[in-house]
Amino acid sequence: MARVFLENIVKRFGKVVAVDHINLEVHDKEFLVLLGPSGCGKTTTLRIIAGLEFPDEGRVYIDDKDVTDLEPKDRDVAMVFQNYALYPHLTVRDNIAFPLMIRRKQLGLTREEIYRRVLDVAKLLRIEELLDRKPGQLSGGQQQRVALARALIRRPKVWLMDEPLSNLDALLRLQMRAELKRLQREIGITTIYVTHDQAEAMSMADRIAVMNHGRIVQVGTPDDIYFRPRHVFVATFIGAPPMNIIRCITVLKNDKLYLSCPGMEREIPRGITKYLRGDMEILLGIRPEFVDVYKEPKPGAIRAKILVVEPQGSELILNLNISPESGEETIIKVKTRALRRYSPGEIVYLEPDWTRVSLFDAKTGKAIA
Amino acid sequence: MPRRRRTRLVLIFLLPELALILSFVLVPIIGTFIISFKTSHGYGVGNYYSVITERSPDRALVIPENIIKAQPPPWGALVHNIIWVAIHVPVVVFLGLTLAYLLRDVVGSSIVKSIMFLGMVIPMVVGGLLIRFMFDSDLGVIPVFLRELGIKSLAHTWTNYPQTALIALILGSVWLWTGFSLTVYAAALESLPKSYIEAARVDGASDFQIFFKVVFPLVKHATIIVVVMTMLWDLKIFDIVFVSTRGGPGGATNVMALVMYNYFARALDYGKSAATAVILALISLIPGIWFIRRVVRPSAEKR
Ligand SMILES: Nc1ncnc2c1ncn2[C@@H]1O[C@H](COP(=O)(O)OP(=O)(O)OP(=O)(O)O)[C@@H](O)[C@H]1O
Ligand SMILES: [Mg+2]
Repeated sequence: MARVFLENIVKRFGKVVAVDHINLEVHDKEFLVLLGPSGCGKTTTLRIIAGLEFPDEGRVYIDDKDVTDLEPKDRDVAMVFQNYALYPHLTVRDNIAFPLMIRRKQLGLTREEIYRRVLDVAKLLRIEELLDRKPGQLSGGQQQRVALARALIRRPKVWLMDEPLSNLDALLRLQMRAELKRLQREIGITTIYVTHDQAEAMSMADRIAVMNHGRIVQVGTPDDIYFRPRHVFVATFIGAPPMNIIRCITVLKNDKLYLSCPGMEREIPRGITKYLRGDMEILLGIRPEFVDVYKEPKPGAIRAKILVVEPQGSELILNLNISPESGEETIIKVKTRALRRYSPGEIVYLEPDWTRVSLFDAKTGKAIA
Repeated sequence: MPRRRRTRLVLIFLLPELALILSFVLVPIIGTFIISFKTSHGYGVGNYYSVITERSPDRALVIPENIIKAQPPPWGALVHNIIWVAIHVPVVVFLGLTLAYLLRDVVGSSIVKSIMFLGMVIPMVVGGLLIRFMFDSDLGVIPVFLRELGIKSLAHTWTNYPQTALIALILGSVWLWTGFSLTVYAAALESLPKSYIEAARVDGASDFQIFFKVVFPLVKHATIIVVVMTMLWDLKIFDIVFVSTRGGPGGATNVMALVMYNYFARALDYGKSAATAVILALISLIPGIWFIRRVVRPSAEKR
């Protein structure tokens, strides 16, 4: 039972502003994912919540209690470190047991009970055969699961996890994601989970906070983040391949606003024209998944030339130039089902799902409307 | 490179060193060994027997005869060395590690560490003199301090009284040697990733638990180095004793190396001097061999 609230947090390391005025509320029992590129301040944010780093500005609240000045041990949080931080002199069993052993008296647990719980967690993470080894004798992925086990054995107010699955192979990672999510649901511990893997974020999060350069760019459900990016950074960070961004300008003709892009021109729907004027630079965002590809000309469709075909199993990614007539190239990627054969040099016709495109202000990068 | 040629090359490069070691280390050692068995009537263990059973206060190894009747402690040089090790080693380990740990992230800690390390830099002869001053009844910090506290019985010149002379020297050697321990531990803590301590802090460990359950086990290598080097230093201790008390009063601060010196330079009895040297060397071999097995060999195998 815990709510975490970050109020205007700033953390500087010399000249680097690692965390830049972050405001974030994590609800009770929520699984919140901090997602962002390397160096954007995810670990620093987590360390501030854990109490390992003291913010230069702002306050940290857990359960409406100001914990900014509290020691880590008084905050009742458990953390999975990005670099594992397993004690090299202890066996895997004693590493996992450590958080309970040091408070054995307060918790009123016997050694046997603790070791039984160690075994349960180890089974969940499939490391039960490794319990007698030392961390130095484990692979990276095994060490990572031990680090996770050391956090999962506790029942703190908040679980803080810094890329806890990054070193596992693809299959194991999928399984562990599901296990972790299920466990978190069952026990209902508020969890803040750091990753730079968007697929992980999408599949596990109740809400995602996307970070860039120390700021939170958008907080929302995975759906919000995917379908309604509030910033061009979110649009281009999420999705594989990410959203296509095409540089366009608005044109005012006969009292109507048009979006003029390389290779196409379209009237802008009435609903959002109030935010726009003529001669504005606009970024048009189109998800590769939301474009239909036709081999025959179609009214209103965009004529494009195939440059590269990337097979992806059941799907294909086409790299297309949508302004083949003009000298310059405007390249977009389109994902389509591999039902037909395409070859480089071929001319095709594209019809984006115009209800699902995004428009961004080219200057600020913010979404329009 | 073929194995044979490599071996030959290694031998060629090692040859000068081997020659030097042979002529200046091995030969004198063997020479000492031979002399130690040489008595006035041929070869035998007579020197060893008389060295160990010797009871005159300035040469006794185990138990001296009590010239001054009520004189504690009634022990010989070998026992003094052992007492020295028994007190000095744990104190130095404890002080070095706690100081290094507390000074870890403190601004200006390098200045404190430098001052502590001064004890290592000054010549031990000077160190011996300083110990005498430190415990002098008029000049010394400790007697003056104790007098202020009202403990009159200990406000005398410590090195002049058999009851306090040895402990004064041992305490002085703590002051001279803690810099070494501090430096070794500081380096070990430096190379310890911060995240171990951080993980323990998040897991709810108290400072006490962090120190004993995480930090101390993780600097085990440094502890082995400090323990062994301190033991060896204590066993062969000579200069500070020679300068400050010459083993006195009444043999109360006598140590093995001083006994060896007394046989050699005062009694001109080379056989007994050599026998004392061999005994000292054999005792020193115990920590030495342990050290090599624990620290030097394992790291050589890792490569
Ligand atoms: N102790 C420190 N001293 C100086 N700079 C630091 C320190 N810790 C972090 N930084 C800087 O702060 C910024 C944010 O770092 P942080 O570790 O939070 O990034 P991250 O989002 O966790 O990245 P990654 O995904 O690579 O782990 C980086 O520019 C980093 O160089
Ligand atoms: Mg990080």
